[in-house]
Amino acid sequence: MMKKAIFKMIKSDTLSVNQLIVSGLLCFLLQIIAYPLQAKEQSDLVIVNSDLSIKKYALTQQLFEANYKSPVTVINLADYSQKKASYLIKKNKSKTIYAIGSKAYLLSQQVAENKNIVFSSIINWQRLTVTKHSYGVAQELPTAMQLTMFRYLFPEIKRVGVLYSKQYNKEWLLDAIEAAKNVGIGLIAKDVDSKRDLSSAIAGLLPTVDVLWLIADPVVLANKAAVNDIFKQTKNRQKPVFTYSQSLLDLGAVLVISADLPTISGQVSALVDELNRNKITITEQVYKPAGSHIILNMKQLKKYPIKLNKEALGSVNQIIE
Amino acid sequence: MSAKCTKSFSLIIFLFLLSFLVFSEEHNKTERARLLFYNPESNINNFVSLKISYDSYLSKFGDYRFQPFNKKELFEKAVLDNKDGVYLLSSWHFYFLRDMIDLQPILVGVLKGRSTQKKILTVKNNITDIAQLKGKTIACSGSAQYTRNILKEVLGGNNVSLLKTFKLILVPKDIDALMAVSFGMASAALTTERSLDNLAKINYKQYQSLKPLMASRQHYLALAALSPTTNKTTGEIIDILEKMGIHPEGETRLSMLGLDGWRRLSRQEQRLLKQPGIHGL
Repeated sequence: MMKKAIFKMIKSDTLSVNQLIVSGLLCFLLQIIAYPLQAKEQSDLVIVNSDLSIKKYALTQQLFEANYKSPVTVINLADYSQKKASYLIKKNKSKTIYAIGSKAYLLSQQVAENKNIVFSSIINWQRLTVTKHSYGVAQELPTAMQLTMFRYLFPEIKRVGVLYSKQYNKEWLLDAIEAAKNVGIGLIAKDVDSKRDLSSAIAGLLPTVDVLWLIADPVVLANKAAVNDIFKQTKNRQKPVFTYSQSLLDLGAVLVISADLPTISGQVSALVDELNRNKITITEQVYKPAGSHIILNMKQLKKYPIKLNKEALGSVNQIIE
Repeated sequence: MSAKCTKSFSLIIFLFLLSFLVFSEEHNKTERARLLFYNPESNINNFVSLKISYDSYLSKFGDYRFQPFNKKELFEKAVLDNKDGVYLLSSWHFYFLRDMIDLQPILVGVLKGRSTQKKILTVKNNITDIAQLKGKTIACSGSAQYTRNILKEVLGGNNVSLLKTFKLILVPKDIDALMAVSFGMASAALTTERSLDNLAKINYKQYQSLKPLMASRQHYLALAALSPTTNKTTGEIIDILEKMGIHPEGETRLSMLGLDGWRRLSRQEQRLLKQPGIHGL
């Protein structure tokens, strides 16, 4: 009926005052009717992805979308200039922003400081500014969780060596020593100041330990030559390497323990859900990842004299044979 | 004339070879038996490792293939469509399937001499009553459906209303679930009793900060079952499985499923498993 009335008015060449009033009222009514439809199309969440062409960011988004059942809007920063991306984030009416990667988090915080921002896929999130609107799931597993897994998989290891720099991991080391004590492991650490120090530090450390735990320290893993030197010396000394990154498997790492991405996605999804329903039972702004992903390189393990707890194989996500 | 003869002769040879190939393929199809696997009690999706490991082990004994499934529906469809397979499945899943298909449970998994397990709801020491878990997060290493079913059993009739208030956080393995409680990512963990015992051995301090609040009934570990129609090869697979625990290579592969051996179910146990309405021991 309304449609017919509007059509009749449009057809007529001139509009009387009455017709103008009626048309105004009709437009107003149409707006009211159409509003819920528009609101429904508006998603509650915008995902700001640092760069979808980076595999880990794309996978993180894919896993999240599989968990999160409501509609989302996606802004891939790699597709836009910073100005355009800022405009799109600002214009978006979603209640919450999910920022994947630090670039996405920093820009979102800059242009939408009063919105809730949930982040993930950020290494060392502590270096970033966290406001009362910031939430997230860290990328790093709790140190105690990793050490507990070392003990579970290899019950006989007694001494674990660590190369670290005071600049980046001084406090981490104090926590790690304490956590290691709780699982009956002695943590023996050597600090490295520069590339020049590294070779002698490894040579000094290896004879005193059962395995080397290679942590993410930018001074220790300064470049390819440094990484190659570490693996060369551990091979010569018959000491297996436990580490955090899959990329080190090709060089001969025996064990890789990292955060489980599907679990992180589940945690982020639950966080977003709570924020969007204003039903906050969130106890911490930034959660630790709750699940670990374990890769065991059996091919390499066979070369070293350390004993695997076979029962623990049921907890390994990937076995390389 | 001779050209025609040559053509006919070539055609006959070609048809002969073709029929031979088709026959061989058909022959392979009948000989190649499959071991189908799905486990809702674990979120460790190590299917590639499992497939490679089991295929290489089974190939030592004959033309057998291992087929892991990551989705319950796909596994169930394969069970219903497949007339002569061997299935590795959780006892919980067996209870669901027994109304749809007449599977014959033959073997039950064994770990450290036991073939049953309890599920424990573990909490931080400061939780004294299940009601304190209302609206809280439970960490678990099984599928959401499996976990909710076990939680329903654990809670019992009086507390079952809490179930819908729980939020689940699915983690890959039991030890993650227990540590999620220790580190505050979850308020409770649903794990096997054995996993809690393992935590006591490897990190006693963390174990001390937790306590078991409620427990499920005893449930069988994984089962090996046959479809209603069996043949020579399915019987052979059962024999191979039964002996896995005594071969070092087989033992390693069993560990990947959280087992160290298999044993034959008694007739009484088989009857009990197939009895409608029974969901545990």
